[in-house]
Amino acid sequence: MRIRHLLIIASSVLLLSSMIWAQAGAKPVTGQSLPVAVSSASADSLLNGGTPAWNQIAVKRVALNRTPPLYDTDEPATLEIPSVDVRTARAGGKLLVQLSWRDPTRDAIALAEVPDTLPETRFRKVQTEADDRFFDAAAVMIPSTSGAGTTAPSLQMGDAEHPVEIYYWNATRGTMVMQAHGRGTTRRTGQSFPANSTYQNGQWSVIFELPDLPAGTTVAFAVWNGSQKDRDGRKYFSVWQVLE
Amino acid sequence: MSRHQYAMVMDLNKCLGCQTCTIACKKLWTDRDGTGYMYWNNVETRPGLGYPRQWDRIGGGWKDGSLQPSPLPTMDDYGHAWEYNYEQRLYEGKKQPVMPSPEPKSGANWDEDVGGMNEDENYFFYLPRICNHCTYPACLEACPRKAIYKREEDGIVVIDQDRCQGYRYCIKACPYKKIYFNEVTGKSEKCIFCYPRLEKGEVNACAAQCPGRLRFVGLLDDPESPVHKLVLVHKIALPLFPEKGTEPNVFYIPPFNPPKRENYGRSIQDDPRVPLDYLIYLFGPEVKDVIVRLEAELRKTQEGGRSEALQLLIGRDAETRFHVRPQLVQIQL
Repeated sequence: MRIRHLLIIASSVLLLSSMIWAQAGAKPVTGQSLPVAVSSASADSLLNGGTPAWNQIAVKRVALNRTPPLYDTDEPATLEIPSVDVRTARAGGKLLVQLSWRDPTRDAIALAEVPDTLPETRFRKVQTEADDRFFDAAAVMIPSTSGAGTTAPSLQMGDAEHPVEIYYWNATRGTMVMQAHGRGTTRRTGQSFPANSTYQNGQWSVIFELPDLPAGTTVAFAVWNGSQKDRDGRKYFSVWQVLE
Repeated sequence: MSRHQYAMVMDLNKCLGCQTCTIACKKLWTDRDGTGYMYWNNVETRPGLGYPRQWDRIGGGWKDGSLQPSPLPTMDDYGHAWEYNYEQRLYEGKKQPVMPSPEPKSGANWDEDVGGMNEDENYFFYLPRICNHCTYPACLEACPRKAIYKREEDGIVVIDQDRCQGYRYCIKACPYKKIYFNEVTGKSEKCIFCYPRLEKGEVNACAAQCPGRLRFVGLLDDPESPVHKLVLVHKIALPLFPEKGTEPNVFYIPPFNPPKRENYGRSIQDDPRVPLDYLIYLFGPEVKDVIVRLEAELRKTQEGGRSEALQLLIGRDAETRFHVRPQLVQIQL
């Protein structure tokens, strides 16, 4: 009886500590490496020049995982986007990341332009067209303090000791930079960043222009599928990758 | 639980369905971009579809301590907000008639006065609705952003527009479907119980404008307030759908209509104009006790006595109906 009790306690301690470990991200960096090309093209041409410049750059297929249901009331969702193709290049003091993934539904709209004038001075207001649609989106997460050999933050939006920055692109609403130090702490910084997106033949291709990051920096990716009502932590995510 | 709790009581026997409250609210709070379809205050015909339609049947709220699932209502359930071509008619000299666009196909109180049938007779009444500023708000629990909070000083439930990311879990969780998504701002909005007015000592716009004088406002925990008296002393006001588990702080005096025939001296329970089952559906089984209490009060006055409860329900002046205590709700810094 005693031994059984001890065993239960020991295994719970182990389970708990491994959970805390995973939560706090105290694990040493073991993510997979991500090749980074050094491009002679300018950052601008990589961002806006279309596919030819990117075709020269090595691609890595990164597996995506579906977050488990976060809330009791969540509708179940299947793994419709199993992977994202990542190309990375340094150019002109910037790090450019191209994410491409297959998504048969393009969940994006052009929102009506809101005039500069006060709504009460206008006959017509811009109206909500739909309240139940969600849009395709993607994000690149990096540690706020990066560098070779540093501990990777928790994958769940960082942790108290290891805050993260998230470069978020939304097919309808554009880009924004966010900061977080754990689940539920995401905060908009009010800043945006340059990005370029195309949707062709059932495939999204989004180029993020990030500040240059040193080799050894961990980066993680996320994809939201609007038609699966993705938003918040309801999404696809990769494990940490390490820039070469 | 908040330190104090503002509450509202609405006497359904006095509601005319004139929508003055709806317009008072709309002009004050939802006359902005993206808010055309939003009615923080709406008045719907009961029995009826409600706004958004079938909101009372699609889910949300609590059961055994867990949030209950619900789909998001669609714009077809709300009805797309329409605009009129006033510019062309009034300023551009076009002769075309003033017409709405897009073509109205549904909207708030679309099924106005249709009601239901009780044996061979039609019946209906109006149900004005605002956010219930619940004691246990399902919306607050559902928000992963912690953007929704219940004000400590007065129990009013509000959405922090800076924290809201427009995820809409709150809309699903609210069993009364009283939160609306603004696609222009990408954030959700709801009734704020006119807290900026209350803080200045002014009552809610919907209550101030009500020609039927059917709204009573005050702190539930203030013994001097009419809501305290109606809900806790006379015990004649009930929340809507108590089984949803959120403990609303908006209460209703159920329709205390006369019997269908030979109304004097008969109980409506003998010959109800509004089927009792329907009132139980809306207000729970306690509605029977409330009707018994209301009938007792009525009998008191019919026998020449005086009923404090009925005198209060008449609500002759604003001092009787509203007990706003700005000094209680000022935030202590």
